[in-house]
Amino acid sequence: MAGIVLQHVMKTYGNMYAVNDVSFTVNDGEFVALVGPSGCGKTTTLNLIAGLLPMSGGDISIGNRVVNDLDPKDRDIAMVFQNYALYPQKSVYKNLAFPLQMRKLPKEEIDRKVQDAAKLLDITHLLERKPRELSGGQQQRVALGRALVRDPAVFLMDEPLSNLDAKLRVQMRSEIKRFHHNLNATVVYVTHDQLEAVTMADKMAVMNGGLLQQYDTPANVFSNPVNTFVASFVGSPAMSLIPLEAAGNSLRSPEGWELPLSPANVRKAAGSTTKDIVLGARHSTLKLHKSAVPGSVPGKVYTVEPTGDVTFAQVFINGAVVNISLAPSVVIAPDEMVWIEFDQDRMHLFDGATTMALQAA
Amino acid sequence: MTTITESAVRRRNGPDWWRWTGRLFLVLLLGFTVMPMVWMIITSLKTGFAAMQYPPQWWPAEPTLQNYTRLLDPSGRIGQDFLHYFWNSLWVSTITTILAVVVAVPAAYAFSRFRFPGRNFLFFAVLLRNMFPAVVFLVPLFILMKALGLVNTHGSLILTYLTFGLPLAIWLLKGFYDNIPIQLEQAARIDGATRFQAFIYIVMPLSTPGIIATSIYSFIGAWNEYIYAYTFLTKQSQMTLPVGIQRFFSENATDWPGLMAATFIMSVPVVVLFLVLQKYFVRALTEGAVKH
Repeated sequence: MAGIVLQHVMKTYGNMYAVNDVSFTVNDGEFVALVGPSGCGKTTTLNLIAGLLPMSGGDISIGNRVVNDLDPKDRDIAMVFQNYALYPQKSVYKNLAFPLQMRKLPKEEIDRKVQDAAKLLDITHLLERKPRELSGGQQQRVALGRALVRDPAVFLMDEPLSNLDAKLRVQMRSEIKRFHHNLNATVVYVTHDQLEAVTMADKMAVMNGGLLQQYDTPANVFSNPVNTFVASFVGSPAMSLIPLEAAGNSLRSPEGWELPLSPANVRKAAGSTTKDIVLGARHSTLKLHKSAVPGSVPGKVYTVEPTGDVTFAQVFINGAVVNISLAPSVVIAPDEMVWIEFDQDRMHLFDGATTMALQAA
Repeated sequence: MTTITESAVRRRNGPDWWRWTGRLFLVLLLGFTVMPMVWMIITSLKTGFAAMQYPPQWWPAEPTLQNYTRLLDPSGRIGQDFLHYFWNSLWVSTITTILAVVVAVPAAYAFSRFRFPGRNFLFFAVLLRNMFPAVVFLVPLFILMKALGLVNTHGSLILTYLTFGLPLAIWLLKGFYDNIPIQLEQAARIDGATRFQAFIYIVMPLSTPGIIATSIYSFIGAWNEYIYAYTFLTKQSQMTLPVGIQRFFSENATDWPGLMAATFIMSVPVVVLFLVLQKYFVRALTEGAVKH
């Protein structure tokens, strides 16, 4: 096992920056998720680590060895692809054996390792089948098996769960997590599903437009998003963002109401480059009132979605949709006027012009 | 509403005229294509005299295999010549086929996988040849072959057949490679293969149907070609079957049964090849037509 270091990694196509100056370090044994919307450069970054694409600039090291000019086969990595990329003409056994054969291992050792991997993933009974005769979940296991049979320094996974149905995805999610735990493997995992990233990863790298937005533990990314993009991307339902204006010790809405700020938040708001400030709040930090209370702002209910143990409501405040979670006992109807109370300690303020999070000076 | 009901009623009652017209048309078409072949075989079993009779013998009164034994008898002059032509054709077609595969496979792979300057231009340039009738190139190619000193050699034919066969071969194979997910190669390269090994171990086996189809196509093209063989080759010893068979026209009177027997033998390798490998051929032509 080994760590990975990316330094100022660039990938350009013409004058399009697919990956723009991305630097981060994956420690030995860490599970890192690369997450972002499609086209954000996460898969390109993974392919650069794998060596499947030539870099336009920067350095990548795996286990203290600069691998910039090494072929994929010499980087001591294994990869699980979104479409599994099982060799269709080979049986499961031969799929698992292929990486070992390419490394010219003796036959007995190949057999032993293939059997071990098959046992670990519970696919021993499938060894003689062809990939097309397997279900999606079984193919996924074989793909994992082909990756781990060689005991590589680093595992790279490109959206390995996105072709599975919802139920299987949750099951495989825990299996991959368990697999990482048992092998103490270094894993770089690409996904567009922030929930996968949050639930599985030790650290997550949020990317957008080829740029690394934030690289931190899921908990920190969740509680301290660096900008409005990260804030709205991570968490489900997403953090609600309301564009407002700074006015002394409060935030003013064009609709006329004002929201007084705590002293700490006033200091944060003072750091904004312009008067425009975006107020961010997660659904669980908001309180709903049927009449005005101090520190609350008016809104109109848009939809109500009961899920059983919690009810989600969407409320229009100042033209922005605000998600709020409620106890199932709360009864509200669409178009009802409500008042939303913000938690001053858990609200987020962003610079309206730069979209960056405002910190207390 | 009314029209739907009416047509539904019509479909249920009485014969489906469109369907029967279609069937009749197919039967006529089948007769049109099969009759000459049947007549070829029947004639090849007749004696020279019987073949010329009018009204014709629909079925040979005294069927004989003498025409075949004459052609395939290595001790007779006709047999010697015929077997020699046969061998020439086999040689030219086989070499053409091997070279076509050797050139088309890497070319198609490159067109499918790599982005290089002039890629689109080259790809359409390759197809450009197919937009002109082959005869247009007869004189220029003859002059070229003369300059290269290739007239009266099999090399001239092999080169010509290659240029004619390659465009479709490359086009066909490119379609195949386009359909093989690039992740398979990437997986192989990560699993320890070089780019070349990934191609040999993973991609090549998957494109076997395409390679077989390409081979059949090249082989048949070379095997049947007449005009160029007739123009480039004047020496008896070099002639291929389509040209050589002509001799049955010129010697004394036309030996129809002999000609038909020779034609039949000539068509055997192609038919056999096609029957054995036709499932690959069909698969290759329809590959990529629908998403799997």
